[in-house]
Amino acid sequence: MLVKYLVRRLFASVVVVLGVTAITLVLMDRTRGTYVPGIDLNPNLRPDDIERLRANLGLDRPFYVWYITWLWNVLHGDFGRSMIDGSPVMSHILDRLPNTLELTATAILMGVLLSIPLGVIGALRRGSKVDHGLTVVSVAGFAVPQFWLGLLLILFFSVTFEQHGWPWLPSSGATSPLGGGDILDRLQHLIMPATVLSFFYLSLWSRFTRSSMLEVLSQDYIRTARAKGMGERRVVYLHGLRNALIPLITLVGLELPGLVSGGLVVEVVFGWPGIGRLLFERALQYDYSTVMGVTFFATLLVIAGNLLADVLYAVLDPRIRYA
Amino acid sequence: MSMLGQTPATEIEAPISTFEGAATRPAQSYWNESWERLRANRIGMGAGILIVILGAIAIAAPLFTQFLTHYEPYRLDLLSTFQPPGQPHLLGTDELGRDTLTRLIYGGRVSLGVAFLTVGLSLTLGTTVGLVAGYYGRWVDDILMRIVDTVLSIPAIFLFILMSILFRPNPITLAMIIASVGWGGVARLVRGEVLSVKQRDFIMATRSIGARDLRLIAIHLLPNVLPVLIVAASLGVGQIILIEAALDFLGLGIQPPTASWGNMLTNAQSYFFHSVWLVYFPGVTIFITVLASNVFGNAVRDAFDPRLK
Repeated sequence: MLVKYLVRRLFASVVVVLGVTAITLVLMDRTRGTYVPGIDLNPNLRPDDIERLRANLGLDRPFYVWYITWLWNVLHGDFGRSMIDGSPVMSHILDRLPNTLELTATAILMGVLLSIPLGVIGALRRGSKVDHGLTVVSVAGFAVPQFWLGLLLILFFSVTFEQHGWPWLPSSGATSPLGGGDILDRLQHLIMPATVLSFFYLSLWSRFTRSSMLEVLSQDYIRTARAKGMGERRVVYLHGLRNALIPLITLVGLELPGLVSGGLVVEVVFGWPGIGRLLFERALQYDYSTVMGVTFFATLLVIAGNLLADVLYAVLDPRIRYA
Repeated sequence: MSMLGQTPATEIEAPISTFEGAATRPAQSYWNESWERLRANRIGMGAGILIVILGAIAIAAPLFTQFLTHYEPYRLDLLSTFQPPGQPHLLGTDELGRDTLTRLIYGGRVSLGVAFLTVGLSLTLGTTVGLVAGYYGRWVDDILMRIVDTVLSIPAIFLFILMSILFRPNPITLAMIIASVGWGGVARLVRGEVLSVKQRDFIMATRSIGARDLRLIAIHLLPNVLPVLIVAASLGVGQIILIEAALDFLGLGIQPPTASWGNMLTNAQSYFFHSVWLVYFPGVTIFITVLASNVFGNAVRDAFDPRLK
C-alpha cells in the first residue's frame, strides 16, 4: 500500500516539477523582450555580437526548444552555466546553499525548541496570565512584517548599541569581510536573521502545540491514565505531549520548503549570502539558467518536504492509513 | 483504507443540539446566530471597527490631508528634509521633504486597496475552480487539482518576483500577482466543502426534480460554502497586507513616487543614524493594521465556524 501510494505521489510530483519550471521559463521569456542577459556588461557590443551572444545562450530558439534542452541536460545532472558570469549554476547553488540552510535550519530549530515548551505551558495553565501573555506574543508574531522586525533589530543591536559603545551585532553578511569565519563570528552574524525568521515559526507552532495539547488532554485515554493513578507529569508528557506533537510534525514538514525560499526577505534585509537572494538578484538580471536551477531545486524541496511530512505522520501515528 | 476522524460522533450530536435550541428560544437562521456570536466578541468587533476606520481614512485621504496635515503626498520640499515629528509636520518628513503622515494616509489607499482587491480576486477564482472541481469530480477534478498543486508548489515569493518583473506592478496588477497564488488555497478549501455537501440528501432531491448543474452549483452548493469563504477572506487580509508590504519593500511592488506602507521603508535603512521615525511609523502602521485584521479574522472564524474554535 505504501509503495503504491509513493509511486502515485512520485508521478504527481513529476507533473508538478514540469509545471513549475515551465511556468518559470514562460514568465521569464515573456518578460525579457529582446534583452540578452549580460548585454549591459559590455557597451561596445555590435549587433552581430549580440546575435552571436543570443545564439550561444540558446536564446535564438523558441523557448520550448530551450526548455526541452534544459530538461534533457538536467536529467543528466547538468544545470548549465549562469548567463551572467558563465560559471556553473550548480556551483552557485552549492556556494549559497550552506548559508541558507544554516540560517533557516537554525530558525526552524529555534522555533521548535521554544514553541513546544511554550505551547505546553499555555495549555497546562489555560486562562492564566502566562497563557494570555503567550497569546499576545503569538498574535503579534503573525502581524509584524518580517523585514520591519529585521530593520528594528538592526537599529537597536547594531546602530544604537554601537552609538553607545556597547558590544554590537554585525548588521549584514554571514561572516566578517576580514578575518572572519570562525564559529563565534558566524554566530554573531547568524543570531539576528535567525531570530527574525524563527519569530514567525514560534508564533505559529506554539499556538498549534497549545491547541493540539488541549485537545489531547481532553481525550478519554488521558482520563483513563489519570484514573489509574498515573502521575500528572507522566500523563502530560508521556501520553499527552507525544500525541499532541504528531500534527505538529506535519506543520513543521510543510515549512521544509521554506528552507530555501522562506528566508528570502530576511536574506535581503540582512545581506545574507543565501540562495533566496541569489534568485532575487539573478531574476532581476534575467539569468535564465540560474533562476531555472534554483526554482527547480526549491520545488523539489517543496515536494520532498510535503512527502516527508505525510510519511512521517503515518509512521508516527499508526491510526493513519494511506488512501 | 479508511481515515480516522470519520467517526459518527457529529451525526449523533447534531439532532440533540437542534432540539435544545428549538426548546429554549425561537429558531434563528445560521446567519443571525453567527452575527450574534460575532457581535458578542468585543475585542473582535473593536478590531473590525478599527479596520473600517482605517478604510474610511484611506478613502477620504484628500480630506484628511487638506484639513489635518496640510500637505500634498508628492510635494517635495528640499528645504525641510528629515524634519523630526512635531510642528508643522506631525510625523516628520522624509529624504525629499515629503510629509510622512500624508504619505501614510495615501499609502493606506494603496495597501488596503490592494489587500481587498487581492482577496476578492482570490475568492472569485478559487471558488469557481473549487466548485467546478468538487462538483464534477473525476478528470475535471484531477486536472484542476494538479494545477492547484503546481501553483502551490512554486515557492510563492519566487513567483511574485518573476511576475513583478514582468508586469511592472500598479495596484491592480499587484493584486492580480498576489491573487495568482492565493486562489489555490481557496480552491482546495472550497473543493473539500463541496465534496462533503454534495453527499447530502438535499442535493440528490434537488437533482431528482430536474435541477441543472449550473443551478445546483450556484443556488445550492455556493451558499453552503459561503461560511468557509467568509472565514478565509477575513483571515486572508492581514497576510496579504504583509506580502504586499514585503514586495513593496523589495522594490518589486508599488513603485515610487506612489506611496505605499512597504515602499516607504525601502530606503529607511539608510537613515537609521538620524531619522528613525522613518523606520517606526510605516512599520507600526502595517503592524496595527495586520493585527486588527487578524484579530477580526479570528473573531469571524469563531463566530461563523464554531467547530474550529
